[in-house]
Amino acid sequence: MTLTAASNDIVGKKQGRWPVGLLLVAMPVFLVGWMIIWPILSAVWRTVWLPDEGAGHSFSLETYRFFFSDQYSLNNLGVTLWTTGVCAILLVLICVPIALYLRFAKGRLAAYVQGLAIFPMFVPSIILSYAIIRVLGPNGTVDLLLNSVGLPKIRSPYLTPWGPVIGLVWDNIPLTVLILLSGLGNVSNQAIEAARDVGARPLAVLWHIILPRISNSILVAVSFTVLGIFSSFTLPYVLGPAAPEMMGPFMQRTFRDVNDPTMAITQAVITFAFCIVFGLFYVRSVAKNRAP
Amino acid sequence: MKRRAFMLSVGGAAAGMVLLPRMAFAAPGVIDWYTSSDQNILDFWTNVVKPKFEAANPGVTLNLVDAGDGPGNIAIGERALAALSSNADPQADYFESYDPLLPAGAIDAGLFVNMKEAGLSNWSKINPLGIESDYSMPYRGSQVLLAYDTTKLDPANVPKTWPDLIAWIKANPGQFIYNRPNKGGSGGNFVRRAIYEANGKDPSKFTTTNYPELGDAALAPAWEILKDIAPSLFDGGAYTSGNTQSIQLLGQSAVTMIPAWSDQALSAIAQGVLPETTGLVQLQDLGLPGGFSRSVVLSNGVNKEAALRLADFILTEEIQSAVLTELGGFPGVSWDYISADLREKFKDVIPESIPSFPGGEWEKAINEGWYRNVAPNVDPAS
Repeated sequence: MTLTAASNDIVGKKQGRWPVGLLLVAMPVFLVGWMIIWPILSAVWRTVWLPDEGAGHSFSLETYRFFFSDQYSLNNLGVTLWTTGVCAILLVLICVPIALYLRFAKGRLAAYVQGLAIFPMFVPSIILSYAIIRVLGPNGTVDLLLNSVGLPKIRSPYLTPWGPVIGLVWDNIPLTVLILLSGLGNVSNQAIEAARDVGARPLAVLWHIILPRISNSILVAVSFTVLGIFSSFTLPYVLGPAAPEMMGPFMQRTFRDVNDPTMAITQAVITFAFCIVFGLFYVRSVAKNRAP
Repeated sequence: MKRRAFMLSVGGAAAGMVLLPRMAFAAPGVIDWYTSSDQNILDFWTNVVKPKFEAANPGVTLNLVDAGDGPGNIAIGERALAALSSNADPQADYFESYDPLLPAGAIDAGLFVNMKEAGLSNWSKINPLGIESDYSMPYRGSQVLLAYDTTKLDPANVPKTWPDLIAWIKANPGQFIYNRPNKGGSGGNFVRRAIYEANGKDPSKFTTTNYPELGDAALAPAWEILKDIAPSLFDGGAYTSGNTQSIQLLGQSAVTMIPAWSDQALSAIAQGVLPETTGLVQLQDLGLPGGFSRSVVLSNGVNKEAALRLADFILTEEIQSAVLTELGGFPGVSWDYISADLREKFKDVIPESIPSFPGGEWEKAINEGWYRNVAPNVDPAS
C-alpha cells in the first residue's frame, strides 16, 4: 500500500492517467459490446417478439414453450449436460495428477510429459475426429493390436455419446493442465516442507496444503473447459450419434437444414443461459482472487 | 505526458484498425467459383478443369472455393442477391452446383444468367433429361448405388431389389450403414428411395411444390420402413455423419455394404481408399435416386463473361469425357457427344433414367422428420 503514493509520483498527476487507461480498455469493451452483448440482446429480442397472426409482431414465449415441452429437444439438452458433466469430472481426475507431477518432478522425463500434455492444443479437432475413427473406430488400430495378440475387439465409442467425450477430454487437457499448473505455483515449497517436518503424509499434504490453495484454479479450469465443451461442434458432429445430438450440431442443423432460424436462436439463447451460469462461477472466483 | 498519452491512444487505435476485417474486392480475371460438393469434385476441378481452362484462356484464373455444403453455397447466393440490390460486388461469379430457385425470388430479381439464351455454343448438346431450368446448366450426373465388399458378399448373391436389400440387411445385422440424410446425398437418397418404396415406387408423385398436399402422410410409412431396419444396422442403429465416413467404414471392413455416390465410390477405388474388391450394384426395381449437378453463373459477377466461357468450356468433349474417365460421373451432354470407345466402355453406368427427388419443402421435412422419427432409435446407454 505504501507503493501507491510513490508510483503516483513516478507516473505523474492522477488526472493525466485517466484517458490512457480508458482508451486502452475502450477497444475490447467496444468489441465485446458490438460482437457479443449486442447479438445476445438481439437474439433474445428476436425469440420473444414474434410475428403474430396479424401483420404485426407481439410478445410471445412460444418458441421457449415448444423447446421445453418437446422431448426431442430436451433429450438433446440432456445429452449436452451429460457430456459436459462427464468431461469435467474426467478432466479434473486426469489433469490434477498430471499437474501435480509436473509441479514437483524435475528432469528430462517431466519435460517430455509436459510436451505430451500440451500437444493436443496444436491438433485441430477435425483431424482429431478422423484420427479417433482410425484408432478407436471399428477395426481401427486398437482392434488390430488386440486382434494380433488374440484378444477380442473393443466396443467402439464411435457414433455413441462416448465418442465426443473421449475427443473432448483429450482436446481440453492442455488448457486444464496449464491453468492448474499456474495455480500450483501458489503452493510454496516451504509450506509443504513445513507440513512434512511435522509428520504429514503425502495424502495429508495434498488434502490440507495443496488442494485448498488450488481449489480456485480447479474452479477456473472447470468453468473454462465447460464453456467450451457445452457449445462444442466438430467432435460431437463427427463422432457422436445421430440422436440425441449435442446443442452445437442441433443448432446448426435447425438453422441450416431445417431452415428455422427462430428456433435455432431459441436453442442458442438457452445454451447461452446455461453457459452464463458457468461464466458466473469464473467471474466470482476471479473477483474473489482480486479482493485484498 | 499528454503527448505520450495521445500517441499511445492513436497508436492503439491504428493497430486496432489494422486488425479490423478488410474489405475484399473481386479481382478482374479471377473467376470466383464456389462448390458445395465433396472433395473428389473439388479435386477434379483443381487437377483437370482449372489447368485446362487456364491454358486455353490466358489471363483468366480460377479461384476455387469450397463453400462446405448446400446451405454454405446458398449463403453466398444470398450475399450476391443483397449485392445485386445495392449494386455492390458479390465476390462470386460461378456456382459449380446450385439450385437457382434459391434464395427465393433470385431469378425474378435477375441474379442468374439465363444460360439457354446466353449464347453458349455447347448448350444444344446437353442431355434434355438433365435440364431443369433455363438458369442452370447440367454438366455432370451422379447416382447413388450400393457399394459392397465382394470378399464378404458374393456378387452372385447381392440384393438387386429393395425387398431383397431389406431382407439382406435383416439377415446380416450390423453389416449395413447409411449416413444422416442431411449430411450427404448417399444416405439422403437411400432415405428417399425408402420414401419412393412407401409410395408405390412412383417418382412422378413428388414435385417441388406438392409437399403441402401430400405432407407427412407420404413420409410416415417411409419412417416405419427405416425404423424397422434400424436394429439391424451397424451398431444397432448408428448413422455416419457424411458420405466420406460411410466409405471409411466400408474401407475399414467394419460393414459389408453402404449406399455411395457412383463417382465418389469410383474415385475411392481408384485412389485405394476402397479396396479393389469393392463391388457396385444398382437396384433393378427402381434405382437409388441421384441427379445432375447444375452450374449457375451470376449476372452481377465482375467476371461474368469469363464465367460464361468457363460454362461453355466444361461442356466440351474434352471435359465431358474427363467427367467419365477421371471423375466417374456421367456426362451432362447427350451420349452422342461422347467418343464411341468411351460410350462402349462405360455402357454399364449409363442410366436409362435417373429418379431425382425434388427439393424445396420436402428437403426440410425429410431432414427434420428423419431425426425425430428414425434417429432416436439409438439407445444412448448402449
